[in-house]
Amino acid sequence: MVAPLPDITLASPHPPPLPSLVNARRLRTQRIGRALRLWVPAGVLILILAICFLLPLVVTLPSATSGNIIYNNEPPFSPGHLLGTDVQGVDIFSQLVYGGQVAFEVGISVTVIGIAIGGTLGVIAAYFGGWVDAVISRVFDILIAFPALVLALVIAEGLGPSEMHVIWALAVFGIPAVGRVARGATLTIRGLPFMTAARLAGTRRWRIIARHIVPNIMPNIVTFSLLGLGIIIILEGALDFLGYGIPAPTPSWGNMISRGQQILSVQPEYVLIPSIALLITVAALNMLGDALRERWGAQ
Amino acid sequence: MTDALLQVDDLRVTFAIGGREVRAVDGISFTVSPGATLAIIGESGSGKTVSCRAIMGLLPAGTAIGGSARLRGTELLGLSDAELRKHRGSDLAMVFQDPARSLNPTMRIGLQITEAITTHRKVSKREAQTQAIELLRLVRMPAAERRFHEYPHQLSGGMRQRVMIAIALACRPKVLIADEATTALDVTTQAQIMELLLDLQQELDMALIMISHDLGLAASYADEVIVMYAGKIVEQAPAAGLFGAGGAVRMRYTRALLDAIPHVERSAHTQLPVVSGRPPDPTALPPGCSFAPRCQYAEDDCLAKVPALAEHVPGHRWACWHPCENGGAA
Amino acid sequence: MRIMALVQQTQHQQVEPGARDRARRVAGSPALRMVGRRLLAAIPVLIGVTLLTFAIMSALPNDTAQAILGLRASPSAVAALNHTLGLDQPFWQRYWNWLVNVLHGNLGTSIEGQSVNHELALHVPTTLGLLLYALVASVVLAIIVATLAARKPNGIADRISLAVSMLGLSIAPYAFAFLLIIVFAVKLGWFPVLSGAVTGPASFFKNLTLPAAAIGFGLFAIYTRILRADMVEQMQREDYIVTAKAKGVAPWRVLIRHALRNSMFTLITIIGLNLGGLVGAAAIIETIFQVQGIGNDLLTGISNHDVPLVEGITLFFALVTVFGSLFADIAYAVLDPRIRYGSSTS
Repeated sequence: MVAPLPDITLASPHPPPLPSLVNARRLRTQRIGRALRLWVPAGVLILILAICFLLPLVVTLPSATSGNIIYNNEPPFSPGHLLGTDVQGVDIFSQLVYGGQVAFEVGISVTVIGIAIGGTLGVIAAYFGGWVDAVISRVFDILIAFPALVLALVIAEGLGPSEMHVIWALAVFGIPAVGRVARGATLTIRGLPFMTAARLAGTRRWRIIARHIVPNIMPNIVTFSLLGLGIIIILEGALDFLGYGIPAPTPSWGNMISRGQQILSVQPEYVLIPSIALLITVAALNMLGDALRERWGAQ
Repeated sequence: MTDALLQVDDLRVTFAIGGREVRAVDGISFTVSPGATLAIIGESGSGKTVSCRAIMGLLPAGTAIGGSARLRGTELLGLSDAELRKHRGSDLAMVFQDPARSLNPTMRIGLQITEAITTHRKVSKREAQTQAIELLRLVRMPAAERRFHEYPHQLSGGMRQRVMIAIALACRPKVLIADEATTALDVTTQAQIMELLLDLQQELDMALIMISHDLGLAASYADEVIVMYAGKIVEQAPAAGLFGAGGAVRMRYTRALLDAIPHVERSAHTQLPVVSGRPPDPTALPPGCSFAPRCQYAEDDCLAKVPALAEHVPGHRWACWHPCENGGAA
Repeated sequence: MRIMALVQQTQHQQVEPGARDRARRVAGSPALRMVGRRLLAAIPVLIGVTLLTFAIMSALPNDTAQAILGLRASPSAVAALNHTLGLDQPFWQRYWNWLVNVLHGNLGTSIEGQSVNHELALHVPTTLGLLLYALVASVVLAIIVATLAARKPNGIADRISLAVSMLGLSIAPYAFAFLLIIVFAVKLGWFPVLSGAVTGPASFFKNLTLPAAAIGFGLFAIYTRILRADMVEQMQREDYIVTAKAKGVAPWRVLIRHALRNSMFTLITIIGLNLGGLVGAAAIIETIFQVQGIGNDLLTGISNHDVPLVEGITLFFALVTVFGSLFADIAYAVLDPRIRYGSSTS
């Protein structure tokens, strides 16, 4: 659970090729590769979101919170249970689906809060500079100095297990993370000539921010948020795993892993299935973030 | 007639950019004799740097290189990188344009010089250090022993360029290529470095190839001059044949370059006759003479057919359908 | 690497050449000044960290007294104990008392009755050992893999490294831990499922390898990606690389002696920036493997509502993170010759 870093973390693994190595066929292959790297993860994500949010509306899934203990430990592809049932007879596929809902709800909420509050603070800090910047940056530094998980744990535990509390606990980490990126990106832009031109032309401050700064830092914020979303989902899973996140009957991937821990040696699939779900989701987010950075990269 | 030290015949370098072929160097030939100074003059994109890098083997792998470049009879162009590396830095050395960026900022300069030595010769560290300090003295670096342990950012631009020259001279090369070596320096330092290069050339009996866009530099220092445009040689002659009394510049492009040099004698407040337009897009070269679109004297045949580089006067080649009649003094 | 450039900018922008030369020579090397500046800047952060730790703890329902006395205790007994413990004093008073204690090295007493210091002293070495193991292994492997990958961008080694590092970035450490357990402990039996006591080198590696791998995989992924990108960028765009090639230096040596050398600076900064995540992952991994470290203690403390213990450990973690990144900053300043030796002395 490492802090999501902007550009540095996943500095484009695909630097633009030198002119001399590009010829017609290679060019086409590269274009196809680039498109695939963008649309395959995007497609996977859309699929996952569809399964988690749309599928339950269309198909009636078995309950994800209670099950018949008679039918416990059913293997995958049993009638009525696509991925089988767990120790207590609860359907695994349903748990995955509803757990996915939780993961995305938390993740997206935290990201939105992060951008709204953190992004705003970051832009303000960079734009106004001076003591405003000093104060805001210090606050960010202090919050980031805390290991994210520890901070989230303490808060979530203190507030009590619930989805909302998890969101707030993780937001405490998400806000400074986005804030720093926003601040950095704004600083870069602030120095550019067109900014001076806008100021000299007498443009009002808020207009400058809205029309010049925001559109130009959006790419940074978006790619960062995609990576950040992956990290939030992992952190949320960690909280659930430890028991301080979503309370027990409500399904979540972390809970599933935690329950599967007991019978790890005999039936590892209870741990593996939610782990794989996590892996695919976060990998798709990471790859999409990579691809977008590649596309918007050379600024 | 002395044996040619470096013989280049019909050198061609082609890149593939965006699916199209770019002939960066389109069949150039020249000879360099031991101890001689050759100046290759041209604008950016004329192919002057690319041709020398091709000879050194410094172009990215996979670039299409054709023709021949023989160093003392050894063909360089077909060699594997491992083979070429034996010559690179030892027989054939290069000094680059921007010494600030051409030296590794986190390595002491002494180490960067000894690296040039130890790559080609098996000597002890101590011996290499002694040789390196000698080299620094050779390039007239003040306080050579102290400078040996310093980092590039602690030196001025001129000093850094001296270090680059020391690196190039480490194994007593037979040919030294100076690629815009003085362009990034201020005028005084420029003169100092040029003088240094010429003195070294004499001392070490080295051939010097100067790449530049500055015709004045060629006039002052070169024995032979090649003018390149859009990948081709457009004029080639001994310096005496081009500049000074008795010199006659023929090709229109060379003439234009000469005219564009500001002179003190020219009356003030007159327009500087710069060469209008820009160098051609290498992916879309005009059908006839590449310079025709910018040439004041261009006629129809100039636009239609490519003029061949021919030796119209002994020792003096040019490629122009309507060359200057009286070249005039520089 | 825009943010990288920005970080460097903010770090270096205060090194002013020229006019201040004389003063600087008097004041000592530029590196020393930079270190001093960093330390000064870290102080408000440290104060803020202590304040935040304490504030969070105070805001949480604090039933320490209750926990000590047990559920059956009468309200008056609880109130009395609260008073003795000073828990009914106003916030700033308590903060001040606590801070003073901390500065004297006294982290209070846990509800179990033991001094928090004692608990920490007992288990910190294990956690530190684990973290160092993970860090060193991931750095070494990252350097090796990134160098192999950068040798031929888009070659086979490169593609494999990119795929593996994507995996490392995407997999949750706790999920990876279970995968490791399934494969290496259960199926292959090379390592124990639960970590035993660490008494010497043999038990160190036997017990801590899997936990270190779980923590280190994510780190390895990040370091590899960054190193590789940095080296490839240098090889393709930097002039000093061309100079090195022009000298006739063999490609491997150019890569290692020039590109890798410079990339190390970037690596140091990244390590410093990532320490927060490292520490957080350690806590959860320790729980899974039952490593007797302070991460485990933290989680136990949280579930027991052991506020002093949790306070102490949280503070410790936060301090490690702050000092760690400070150390990385300083290391960078000390090692980068451009900072150490200032500008031209001609």
